[in-house]
Amino acid sequence: MTTYEGKRVVITGGTSGIGLATAKALVDGGARVLVTGRTPTSLEAARGALGPGALVVESDAVTGIDALAQRAAAEFGEVDLLVLNAGVTLAALLEDTTEAQYDEQFDINTKAPFFTLQKFLPLMPAGSAVVLTTTVSNVKGIASTSVYSATKAALRSMTRTFARELIPKGIRVNAVSPGPIDTGILERSMPLEAARQFIAQVTADNPMQRMGEADEVAKAILFLGFDATYTTGTELAVDGGASQL
Amino acid sequence: MGRYEGKRIAITGGTSGLGLATAQHLIDEGARVLITGRTPSAVAAAGRQLGDNAVAVESDTSSLPQIDALADRVKAEFGTVDALVVNAGIGSFDPFDAVTEQTYDEVFAINTKGPFFTVQRLAPLISEGGSVILNTSIANQTGWPALSVYSASKAALRSMARTFGKELLPRNIRVNAISPGSIDTGKLEKELPPERAAELRAEFTATNPMGRWGHPDEFARAVAFLAFDATFMVGIELVIDGGLSQL
Repeated sequence: MTTYEGKRVVITGGTSGIGLATAKALVDGGARVLVTGRTPTSLEAARGALGPGALVVESDAVTGIDALAQRAAAEFGEVDLLVLNAGVTLAALLEDTTEAQYDEQFDINTKAPFFTLQKFLPLMPAGSAVVLTTTVSNVKGIASTSVYSATKAALRSMTRTFARELIPKGIRVNAVSPGPIDTGILERSMPLEAARQFIAQVTADNPMQRMGEADEVAKAILFLGFDATYTTGTELAVDGGASQL
Repeated sequence: MGRYEGKRIAITGGTSGLGLATAQHLIDEGARVLITGRTPSAVAAAGRQLGDNAVAVESDTSSLPQIDALADRVKAEFGTVDALVVNAGIGSFDPFDAVTEQTYDEVFAINTKGPFFTVQRLAPLISEGGSVILNTSIANQTGWPALSVYSASKAALRSMARTFGKELLPRNIRVNAISPGSIDTGKLEKELPPERAAELRAEFTATNPMGRWGHPDEFARAVAFLAFDATFMVGIELVIDGGLSQL
């Protein structure tokens, strides 16, 4: 059991799925964790799942950045690991994509992580780390994901530039790139039968013939956050081989 | 109780540098490890250093009969292994126009063909849910002078991580690569004249984004991550290079 005693971690989009699994592993390992979310039900569920060891904060990824940085400063003083995981996906074909959908995804997936890290920098000591959640679709062409994939490709690029710029401060920046992960979001965001069909298709297409667990991505985030001390600017694909084989 | 209690790992090229550091890291966390080396004195010394939870075996990775003998030995010692770390390799620092056919063949025999047949012959001994980790190099995606043969031998190995990854999945064995940059194993000083070694050491420090060499333990932790934690990762190459190939 790895111990994270004394570590202070902030996870945006930490009330469900990958963010929540990461928070749970950290709380279990003794870390102090602040997670953010938007929806009242998931905030409540996260409070139940994480217990008193975690701060579950309602925060909008785009409009809440300044307040979040102030809250983290007040609670923790410094932050040892910042996981920029909040994101949104709105599946649509090129011809059907509206400007509003385009702007929303770039605002949440690209611009928000950019300025969140900018605001958090003063809180991050030498030896701390940032992990950005990207996606395997940023190197693939998957129908209906043109905007989403592009937002994450931009984020993958920022991983490199942030990594270079933050080396003088002793801060490492890496990305974790999940493939199909069973977070329950599909069943919640589309009709049940459609979700089942989609999951069956994804499972059949995946080299490992299954979807991944949120916990498997959490382990990669924690490796990048605390163990990968000679690794910066990289992207780890946690995708059952989908982007690699 | 160590994190790797009960795990059995075979590491080729484990008598020095990255292989030895990885063996030590895994043993410190409770694993049993079998390492190989070519030089009898180095094999004996590494065995003594690693202690009772290590088996040190003399084996030349460029010899197929010796790879077969290694498979027999692994089977006799451990039955099955949870991870196979294919780490044995050789450096080669000749300018392109000075490379002889002999050097070329030796580098490919040790860095590419040996690993291929090591995985082929030892794969039957890897337990379900186990994994293979191939030690490549960030040189496989850059163009450094005097590294043409070495880089190509490792590029071929990186490719095999993908194909092995696909072919071994039906047995639920994951294959990944780990790609070290400049890790401080003392190898430079061992293989090059002192002046050239000092020159390269300073140059690699100056050109590395992190401005330092990596520690062998940083490599070892990545091996352990790929072996035991990266359960939804196949065919990737994890770079441990201070950002050199990424920024």
